[in-house]
Amino acid sequence: MAWDKETELKLRQVIKDSGVALLNENLVQGTWGNTAVRLDEDHMLVTPTGLDYIALTPEDMPVVQISDPSIWSDGKKPTSERKIHAAIMQARPEINATIHSHPIFCSILASARIELPVMNDEMQKLVGGPCRVGAYGLPGTKKLKEGTVAAMQGRNACFMANHGVFCAGKDMDEAFEIIRIMEKSCYQYIQECTLKATGQSTYSDELLFDYFVAQKTAPKGKKK
Amino acid sequence: MNKTVQTILEYAQRLVDENVVSESDMISMRSELNFMYITKAGAKLRELTEDDVIKLNIFKVDNEYKYHAEIYKEREDINAICQCYPKWVMPIAKAGVTIPAVLDDMAQIVGPTCKTSADDIKSIIKTLKGRNSCLVKDKGCITSGRTLDEAYTCVLVLDKASHCFVASSVIGENKIINGFEARLMRFIYKTKYSKKNQENLSAKEEGEKVSEELPAKEEGEV
Repeated sequence: MAWDKETELKLRQVIKDSGVALLNENLVQGTWGNTAVRLDEDHMLVTPTGLDYIALTPEDMPVVQISDPSIWSDGKKPTSERKIHAAIMQARPEINATIHSHPIFCSILASARIELPVMNDEMQKLVGGPCRVGAYGLPGTKKLKEGTVAAMQGRNACFMANHGVFCAGKDMDEAFEIIRIMEKSCYQYIQECTLKATGQSTYSDELLFDYFVAQKTAPKGKKK
Repeated sequence: MNKTVQTILEYAQRLVDENVVSESDMISMRSELNFMYITKAGAKLRELTEDDVIKLNIFKVDNEYKYHAEIYKEREDINAICQCYPKWVMPIAKAGVTIPAVLDDMAQIVGPTCKTSADDIKSIIKTLKGRNSCLVKDKGCITSGRTLDEAYTCVLVLDKASHCFVASSVIGENKIINGFEARLMRFIYKTKYSKKNQENLSAKEEGEKVSEELPAKEEGEV
């Protein structure tokens, strides 16, 4: 172990707070998301699998070996997505905190497998450019892990096809800033696309509803 | 208070908190084989009280409770039903189309597709064959499960998948998860990591003694 107990206690609290913050900011549903924070070059703390973020205690967070995430100690059974967190930490020494979640607007772009162009200065600064989509792979598979690592090259966020979003920062505060700007930028993109498709100047969800129904119920060959 | 009634009140509040209800939603739970507890027709989930949950024999119900009763009669594997009107489901129910597998959690929890049924019980039963959720034309959706927790989770996942499907009309078509992989995820979800959870939750919802800690999800966690 190349970290002191005081640092570990502090980071245990950071990861506990990250789960609660994801819930409070509506960036996660239920237990379906996970976060990790680096302890040293080869160890990280992660959230446990499938457990309620509010009820979790800092002591519940397991320590996972980055070079071999099947090895873990302390805490409760770690998230099955730990392999992706470990792969990013291993490939990117400057990354110390990671978040994987499925917030709604990011999920929309992930489901359409669309690369998000840079929508604002904040996104350029925090994400580092357009947000790519990693190759589709079943949850827990090597294909998903490798696709995510490839899409993250030179970026601090990527979409996981038909799944969600992955964000990485130098610390948990920065990782949170990244997931927030990703969700905001995706929403901005959807609004702009809706206005462009409908020719209207003000966005509303109803505008999107009506456009969808018109598209799906139009006689064949008459879709816009 | 009866444990089943308490569970219904708890999940009604959760649906309200998640903003996936309208004015005429109904939820129910099977009690023994031939009875169900159900929210009264016309009762608003936002204002639900203990008196709004009634116990009915599924073979002797009025028309407004028929959808739930007929599903319980037809499907012994179903122990809970949510009949809801989530915002993003509505345009799809209006268009009367099928939601493909747009997200992993949809494939796992709802199924590889979710079809829209005509608004009559025969069509609904037929559409639900081999599935636990469907949309109802010009209405909302019906989700079901081994437990009320499962039916409730289905509502949330279905609303999210619906949002993705609707938004795809302006950002570009959804890239669908291929049928084999979608069915594989569904199979694993049903047989592996949710089975034990559902058994424990079922006992908990019915007030039986269960261990404090539910088994966690394993591989394939979403």
